[in-house]
Amino acid sequence: MNSGEREFPVEHARQALRTVIDPELGYNIVDLGLIYDVSIDDAGVAHVLMTTTTRGCPATGYLQEGARESVARLPGIAGVDVVMTYDPEWSPQMMTSEAKRHLGIEEESIP
Amino acid sequence: MSYFAAALVALLAAESLMAAGWGFPNASLQAPATLLLVHLVVLGWLSLLLCGALFQFVPVLVARPLHSGTLPLPALVLLLGGLAALLTGFLRLNGTVTAALPFFSAASTLLATGFSLVLWNLGRTLWAARPLGWPAKFVAVGLLGLAATVAIGITFALVLAGDAVTPAALRLFARGLPIHVIAGLGGWLTLTAMGVSYRLLAMFMLAPELDRPSTRAVLRLGAWALGVAVVGGSIAILLKQDSTPVFLAAGALGMPAVILYARDVAYLYRTRKRRTIELNSRMAAAAVGSLVLAAMLIVALASMGGLVRHAGAVAFLVVFGWLSGLGLAKLYKIVPFLTWLECYGPVLGRAPTPRVQDLVAEQHARKWFGLYFIAAWAATAALFLDCAWAFRVAAAMQLAGTAGIVLQLVRARRLDDVPASARFPAGSRRPPLILSLTRSQ
Repeated sequence: MNSGEREFPVEHARQALRTVIDPELGYNIVDLGLIYDVSIDDAGVAHVLMTTTTRGCPATGYLQEGARESVARLPGIAGVDVVMTYDPEWSPQMMTSEAKRHLGIEEESIP
Repeated sequence: MSYFAAALVALLAAESLMAAGWGFPNASLQAPATLLLVHLVVLGWLSLLLCGALFQFVPVLVARPLHSGTLPLPALVLLLGGLAALLTGFLRLNGTVTAALPFFSAASTLLATGFSLVLWNLGRTLWAARPLGWPAKFVAVGLLGLAATVAIGITFALVLAGDAVTPAALRLFARGLPIHVIAGLGGWLTLTAMGVSYRLLAMFMLAPELDRPSTRAVLRLGAWALGVAVVGGSIAILLKQDSTPVFLAAGALGMPAVILYARDVAYLYRTRKRRTIELNSRMAAAAVGSLVLAAMLIVALASMGGLVRHAGAVAFLVVFGWLSGLGLAKLYKIVPFLTWLECYGPVLGRAPTPRVQDLVAEQHARKWFGLYFIAAWAATAALFLDCAWAFRVAAAMQLAGTAGIVLQLVRARRLDDVPASARFPAGSRRPPLILSLTRSQ
């Protein structure tokens, strides 16, 4: 699989991850900036590097499992490896403009 | 959830008794009827609420699982048994119960064992997570306050049972009540609630985690106030000295802590990233306002010499305006959140799920919270004015407000406010009303 062919499934994977919401903020984990990286290796295994809004969040296990489930259902995906990280820690400035607008956060209020 | 359910039943029962004219102000502060009422509130309602919340929340604070997921249930059974024995013991003092059974001895054993399990479980969880962040340090000091409160309370119960008749125990029984109250309301309940509220408010309003000099000062002043009151007060009493200067010193340390805490909370609200403040956070502000008001009243009354006369009114404001108000406000967040995890967590990524906030209908809950706080403040005013009938009316209003809030919590638990089409996506499960949430997530 060359890099051009891999771009398409990666975008599909990100789209699938948008079906998972952070329950407290009520917005999808991709636009909240909780997905740090998505890649798909030559064997078709998806690697997702993600975080939660706060360390020790009680929903961590469910969010990790939800991310795995959403990507695993895509055609051509042989497996999903989801890794949780807190380096760097999440901050509100990692959100997309749409997510900020949804939560009533002004762009200029983010340091 | 079983802790929360038991706690809410105790609160409703206590408010019913107050509305019916039971205990203070119709009876003295130290009358058995008042003692029953007070322990129903601080043990049955506030302590069970806080224990249940800490079993859920300490793992979040320290990002580690609870030391034991199985201990909370036997601890709850022991605490409820101990509470029942203690309340029956007070009824026996009152003459309402005539059976000559060792109620206070049983209460001592059951409560000591139950709280030991709680302290062991939370203490081991915190110990394993060292070095602790500031909110967790508040909880650690609060747990020391709980240990002191229980130790003194058990001494009292053993004296009442006739099991402890040493001169030291009798002296503590005769003059140690202020230590028991300060360690319980100030140390255990207030310091723990402060620590938890720092983190919860920051989390839910997307405000920065606080690590300001003022936050550290709140903890240090609070810990010193607790230490001075418990250790200094006990030594003064056991050495037959006047303990008043010791309690004044503890108060002088505690009052600035309250003011700094209120400033910190105001800072959290100001620096929040979420513009919309949810009802639970708005009501938490009303609770913090009650704490500040109580602190100001204590200072004013202490300087004018009316603190002893109005101790009941001030304690009422601390218990119902601050601690219970904050407790109810945070339950309005915790119950939907835990319910969401149970019902929708397992289907995340497989089906569309509602938000936590979709589980509540704030427009309905708002008026019940409003009624609750207005009633609690009115009841405090009635106590200041020595107006027993007005107090009963206010207590009845407070009961109605609480009942309304409890109904909203039941609706959240039953997912009644989630649109029917989104309520049960394929694979989701209806959570049981009361059981199931004692396990750690």
